[in-house]
Amino acid sequence: MSSSTEPTPQQLADAPLLKAEGVSITFGGLKALTDFNLAIRKGDLQGLIGPNGAGKTTAFNVLTGVYKPTQGEVRVGGQKVNTLKPHQINHLGLARTFQNIRLFRALTALDNVKVACRAEAFSDAAAHGVAAAALVRGGVLTAIAANCRTLVLAGWWKSLLLTPRFQAEERRITEQAEHLLEVMGLLHRRDEEARNLPYGEQRRLEIARALGTQPNVLLLDEPAAGMNTREKADLMVLIRKLRDDFSLGILVIEHDMKLVMGICEKITVLDHGETIARGAPEQVRSDRKVIEAYLGDSYLETHGGAA
Amino acid sequence: MAQLLQHLINGLASGTIYALVALGYTMVYGVLKLINFAHGDVMMVGVYMGYATAFALGKQAQKSLWGVVLIFLVAMGGCALLGFLIERFAYRPLREKPRLTALITAIGISFALSYGFQLDIGFLPGAAPRAFPEIIVPTEWLIIGDRDVVVWNWQVMSLLIAVGLMVGLQYLVFKTRFGRAMRAVSYDHRVAALMGIPTDRVIAVTFMIGSALAAGAGLLYAIKDTSVSPLMGLYVGLKAFVAAVIGGIGHVPGAVVGALMLGLVEEFVVGYAASTWRDAVAFGILIIVLIAKPGGLFGRVAAEKV
Amino acid sequence: MPGVPPGLRGALPVLIALPVVVVFELLLAGSPFATYLLSIMGVNIILAVSLNIVNGMTGQFSIGHAGFMAVGAYVAGVLSLSLKEIALSFLPVAVSDQVFLLLVLLLGGVAAAVCGFVVGLPSLRLRGDYLAIVTLGFGEIIRVFVQNTEMFGRALGLSGIPQTAGLGMVGFWVFVVVLVARRLAGSSHGRSLWAIREDEVAAEAMGVDTTGYKVRAFVISSFFAGIAGGLFAHFVPIINPGSFTFVKSMEVVVMVVMGGLGSTTGAIVAAVFLTLLPEALRSAFAAMGAEGSLAQKVDQIRMPVYGLLLVALMLLRPQGLFGTKEIWEVLPRWLPRRRKGLA
Repeated sequence: MSSSTEPTPQQLADAPLLKAEGVSITFGGLKALTDFNLAIRKGDLQGLIGPNGAGKTTAFNVLTGVYKPTQGEVRVGGQKVNTLKPHQINHLGLARTFQNIRLFRALTALDNVKVACRAEAFSDAAAHGVAAAALVRGGVLTAIAANCRTLVLAGWWKSLLLTPRFQAEERRITEQAEHLLEVMGLLHRRDEEARNLPYGEQRRLEIARALGTQPNVLLLDEPAAGMNTREKADLMVLIRKLRDDFSLGILVIEHDMKLVMGICEKITVLDHGETIARGAPEQVRSDRKVIEAYLGDSYLETHGGAA
Repeated sequence: MAQLLQHLINGLASGTIYALVALGYTMVYGVLKLINFAHGDVMMVGVYMGYATAFALGKQAQKSLWGVVLIFLVAMGGCALLGFLIERFAYRPLREKPRLTALITAIGISFALSYGFQLDIGFLPGAAPRAFPEIIVPTEWLIIGDRDVVVWNWQVMSLLIAVGLMVGLQYLVFKTRFGRAMRAVSYDHRVAALMGIPTDRVIAVTFMIGSALAAGAGLLYAIKDTSVSPLMGLYVGLKAFVAAVIGGIGHVPGAVVGALMLGLVEEFVVGYAASTWRDAVAFGILIIVLIAKPGGLFGRVAAEKV
Repeated sequence: MPGVPPGLRGALPVLIALPVVVVFELLLAGSPFATYLLSIMGVNIILAVSLNIVNGMTGQFSIGHAGFMAVGAYVAGVLSLSLKEIALSFLPVAVSDQVFLLLVLLLGGVAAAVCGFVVGLPSLRLRGDYLAIVTLGFGEIIRVFVQNTEMFGRALGLSGIPQTAGLGMVGFWVFVVVLVARRLAGSSHGRSLWAIREDEVAAEAMGVDTTGYKVRAFVISSFFAGIAGGLFAHFVPIINPGSFTFVKSMEVVVMVVMGGLGSTTGAIVAAVFLTLLPEALRSAFAAMGAEGSLAQKVDQIRMPVYGLLLVALMLLRPQGLFGTKEIWEVLPRWLPRRRKGLA
C-alpha cells in the first residue's frame, strides 16, 4: 500500500468535508465536465447553478460515485474516493437527493427513512469494509470469507432469532427515523406509502431520507422543483435550519434564482461542463458570462451589457 | 489438418444459422430492450409450418426449386405473422410497464409454445422428433483428399442463404429510411415517436423481420439435422441468444460475430473433446463473457441516467 | 406480537411448531399417498418461499432454482449413500437416521449456497436481465455435469438413497424457511432488500451495499433450494437429471409470480394450489371414467397452461394473488391488525 499518498491524521482532520480537484468526465465523445473544482466545509451553504445540460447533476453523480471521473480527484473527508462505490462514499459522510424523485415508492414514509438509518451501516461498517475491499482487491476466497463474516457476524442471524439487542437496535432506528420525519414536518405521514404523498412532501421525504444516513455533507438536487412560492420560502428556512442543527455542509443545485441567491453564500456557475463563474451571489448575479449563458448574447445586445 | 478444415466448415455453417436467429434477438432487444425468450419457439413453429408444407407438396414437388422456395416462404411468412400477433397482443400492452413484466410474459409464451407443441392433440404435432423431409438432396460438392474434407451442397446453400439474408438486413438497417427509423426507436422510442416516427409500426415490422429470419434459420437447421422436435426452439434459441450477448446485445454485426464464434467453438469442442458437453459450451462461454466484458464484444453497458 | 415477553419472542414459534409437525407425521403414517403428496407440497413451499426472497423481496429475476435444488439433492444423496451402513449406536435407529439426514441436508444446502455465491457474484453486478440468463444456464450446466459424471449416476440417476425424510423433517424445514423469510422481511436487512427492489440506484446512494445484499439474498435462497432438493432425494425412490429441469424452475417461478412477487403467504398459497391442482385434475379425470391417457395428459397439459397462465397474469393482474402483502394485511378489519409498514 502506497503510504506516501495516504493522508496523515492531521491532514484528514483539516481537510474540507468534500473536495473535487480538476475533475473531468467524458461520455463517448462528449466531455460533460471539464476541470471541475469544489470545496465544501462544515457550515457551508453553496449553490451550483447553470442552464439545463450544463453538467450539474453529472457533477453530483461524479461526487457521489455513480460515475467515475476520467480525470481528477474527489475527496470526502480527505480520503480519495474515485474508485469507491456509492454506498461506501455514503458511509464516509456524503448524502444526496435526486433531481427526479427516487423514493422507495411502495414503502411507507417511515420505512423510506429507516432504510437509510440501517443499523448495519453503523455497527457493522467494519465488516462491510472488509467485504467490499476484498472484492476490490480480488481473491474469491477472501470474498467468500468476508461475506460469511458479514452474514454470520454482521447480524443477519441476529434478525432471525430476534435477540434483545437486535430488537433494541430496531427500536433505535425507528426512533431516529421518526425524529427526522418530525424535523421535516412529515410525522403525520409516517405510515403512508411514499407514492401517495403529494409532490412537495415527497421532496421533503427525500431530504429526510438522506439525513437518515447521518451525513456530513448534503447534496440537494433541485429540492424546490415544482414547489409554490410559499413552499419555497419554507424550504429556504428549512435548509438553513438543517445546516445549523445537523452541522452540515450543503450544496444545492437549483434553477430558482431567488432561492439560490437567498440562501447560498457561495455560488459556482457551470455551462457546458465548464466553470464560468464562482463567488458570492452579488458577484455572480452581475457577471457578464453568467448572463450570457442563461439568456444568450442577444439579451446582452438588446439590453446593453451587464446590469 | 484436414480434420481442422472440416471442423472449420461445419462450425461456420452452424454459426451462420445461429447468426440468423441471433439477429432476431438483437434487433428486438434493440428496439424494445426486451429479451424475447419466445423467439426460438417462434422459429420452431415456423419449421413445423415448413414441414407441413413439404408434406402437402408431396415427395416430388418438395424437392423442386419452386417447392423449396414455397416452403421457405410459407415458414417465413407464417412466422412473421406469429411474431406480429405476439408483439401486438402480449408485448405492446406491457410496453410502459416494468421490464420484468414483459420478461415473464415472454417466458410464458415460450413455454406455451414449446410445451404446447409437445401435446399431440389436434394439429399439435407431439413430442416425438420427426424426420424432416429431404427437400434438398444432399450431394457432395467438394471433396478434398480421400474424403478428408467434404463440403455438402446444403452447407454451401445454407451459407449463401444466411449471408444473403444478413447482407439484406444490413442494407435495410443502414441504408434505408425505415432502417433509420428502427435505429431511432432503438435509441429512445419516446423521442422517436415525438419526431413523427410510427413507433408501433416500426416495432411490429422489426418483430416480423426477426421472426422471418428465424424461420429461415430453423429450416436450414432442420435440413442439417434432418429432424424436428418441439424443443428445438428452446435449445437453438438459447444458443443464439448467447451468441447475441457475446457480440453485445443490440449490436447487429456483433450478433453475427458472436454466432460464428459460438458455432466454431461448439464444433471444436465436439470434435476434439467430448460431444456430450456440447450444450454446456454455450453457457460456459456466456458466463465467461459476462464476467470479463458484460457489454459483450462490441456492446457498451449503457450508463443509466440518474 | 404484543403481550409476549421480548426474550421469548424469538423462540416462541419454534416451541409451537415442533409438536404440531410431529403430530402430523404420526397421523398420516398410514397413508403413503397423502404422505407423499404432502412431502411434495412441502418441498414446493420451500422452493417457492426461498425463490420469493430473491425474485420477490429483492426484485431480481432468477429462473434457475432447480439447478440449486439439484446440487442439494445430489450432494445429500451421495453422502447418504456412502453413510448408509453407519449408524450412531448409542441412539435408537430412527433418531440416528434423522441425525444423519439432518447432517447431509445441511451439507447439501451449504453446497447449493456456495454455488449460489459463485453464480450470483458475477451476475448480480450486472443488469437484471442477465441474471435470468445466467441462472438458466447454470441449471443447464448442472444437468450436463450430472449426466456426464459417474458418481452422480449419469442419466439413469441415483437410487437406493435411504428414504428417511418423513413429514416431520419436511415440515420442520418448511417452518424454518417461512420463519427466515418472515423475519428477514421484517428486519432492517429485509427493508434494504425491498429498497433494492424499488430503486437500486437510490438504495445504493443511501448506503446500502446493493451488490452485497443481492448476493446474500441469493445465497440464502440457494441454500434452501438445496435443502428442498436434499429432502426430495430422501423420499423419492430415485433421482435423475429429469427431476431438476428448467420445467421445474419455471414451475417455481409461476408459483412465486402467481402468489405475488414479495408475498411469503402468496408463495405458500400458490405452491399448495399448484401442487394439489394437477392431482385434483388427475383424480377428476379418473373419476369421470375418461380414458387413462387423459389423466396422464394432465402432466403434459400443465406446462403450456402454466405458460398461458403467466401471460394472462402479467396482462391482467401482474401483482398476483397477494401482491406484496401478507395474509394478515388482507384479512378483514375485525382481526387484530399489525401496524402498517414492514416492522
